[in-house]
Amino acid sequence: MTFRDKVLKGKFVITAEVAPPRGTEWESVVEPLKPLKGKVDAFNVTDCQRSMVRMAPLPMAKLLKDSGYDPVLQLTCRDRNRIALQSELLGAYALGVENVCLMTGDFTTLGDQPDAKPVFDLDSVQLIELASRLNSGKLLNGKELKGKVDLFIGAVYNPFAGPEPLQVWKLEKKIKVGARFIQTQPIYDVKLAKEVSSLIYSLGAVPIIGLLPIKSLKMANFMKKLNPTSVPDSLVKGLETAEDPASYGWEFVLDVARACLEFSGGIHFMLVGKVRELADFIDYLKNHRDYSVKF
Amino acid sequence: MVTVKLKPLGEILESLSGFERVFIVGCQLGSARCRNGGLREAYRVAGYLELKGFKIVGVKSPGGTCVLDRLDHSARSLLNEIREAADVVLSLACGAGTQLIAENLPIPVKTGVTTLFIGAEREGRYFEEYCIACGDCVISNTGGICPVARCPKSLVNGPCGGAIAGKCEVDPNLPCIWFKIAQRMEQIGELKKLRKSVPPKDYSLSVYPRKLVLEE
Ligand code: SF4
Repeated sequence: MTFRDKVLKGKFVITAEVAPPRGTEWESVVEPLKPLKGKVDAFNVTDCQRSMVRMAPLPMAKLLKDSGYDPVLQLTCRDRNRIALQSELLGAYALGVENVCLMTGDFTTLGDQPDAKPVFDLDSVQLIELASRLNSGKLLNGKELKGKVDLFIGAVYNPFAGPEPLQVWKLEKKIKVGARFIQTQPIYDVKLAKEVSSLIYSLGAVPIIGLLPIKSLKMANFMKKLNPTSVPDSLVKGLETAEDPASYGWEFVLDVARACLEFSGGIHFMLVGKVRELADFIDYLKNHRDYSVKF
Repeated sequence: MVTVKLKPLGEILESLSGFERVFIVGCQLGSARCRNGGLREAYRVAGYLELKGFKIVGVKSPGGTCVLDRLDHSARSLLNEIREAADVVLSLACGAGTQLIAENLPIPVKTGVTTLFIGAEREGRYFEEYCIACGDCVISNTGGICPVARCPKSLVNGPCGGAIAGKCEVDPNLPCIWFKIAQRMEQIGELKKLRKSVPPKDYSLSVYPRKLVLEE
């Protein structure tokens, strides 16, 4: 079953993130994913994340697909105007890249080429609406398209961002104009993951909870700096006293993952460093008598 | 107002090398208001240039250097004055004023400032960009606060996911303007309006150079 089929049938999905290479050596990105083949349902291909130049996400998504993985093409508004976004999405569908996750994108000055011209012609809501428009057989300007487009559209949500209620309204707008699944920023708190899941379900989309294993206290503090309320004190304390912080951080996230099986539509691993461990964990879930029914 | 920033004196000096008789023109509107190119700054630059051996043949700061009528009034033409006395103009007016001078004089015109933005002033020393002249004003729908100019991503459908604790992801010294918009809309009882999707902006309205022609 494809990622799309699973989401639509209410099966629990597991996605992970893949960053294209800084260069052309794509094999070194795809090769390590082997243990996850058939286990992770789809791989999000990031779009020059944090505004650093990488190989474009569409060719990378196509290369992944050809290697036997189901990609989710991430596309941002940072570098492309509406003309480029439409043509990119048409190209994606023609190449068989059907899943897209559409977002505003990080700002240019945060990256390693801060002198670049920021685009932001559309915002995430408008980009999602544009993709829906393509699905209905029309360009943004209403002109008919030749050939069918049937993108499976997703979006993102950060429960730690404000102000309320605007973030929730923006999420609502995204879902109203066509987002079918929502991948969240990393969440370490089960209660919050549950709240976020029911919010997303109530608005009419499938929640996929973001999980980012914390490898060290340093990483936790870095995350805290970006997003003070996102990393719970219990996690920081545990990392401080743990003999092996990396495995503590990993287990912590797996606990959240297990909990998500009870109430969410899926989980999204935002760092696939521990490929083997992740593969084992997915096997364990799929063979577990309580969890196996979810898949 | 249009805010400008005086260039480093060394840079000004370099741009004038090879010339002798300098006429300095400031502007009493934007440039004077933000104290980077009014009469006072013009005199300060004049003093410096004199020390460096230039002959300052005039220092003037019209009340609106970007208005041709102020530069070239039939009774007293600043342009004529410059033409007779100088071999170069140093303008401290904004980009518009400086170009207007250049368009109307046969001698070289150098700028001593960089034009920054359309901004608002507080306490005589804080200048902030409030408007990018997008040609399609939306602020009636956003509590009189412009997200096009004051959110670096010009987001019109609400804040991005980087809006943490009231701060902007682009610069933590900057508030995320959507917090202000939310507060303001709440205050005036219009918060609910922000729930409606806003369609893509018509950027053809901000394709420069733009024109405004008044009916006779
Ligand atoms: S944090 Fe706020 S002001 Fe900054 S880019 Fe995001 S929405 Fe715009």
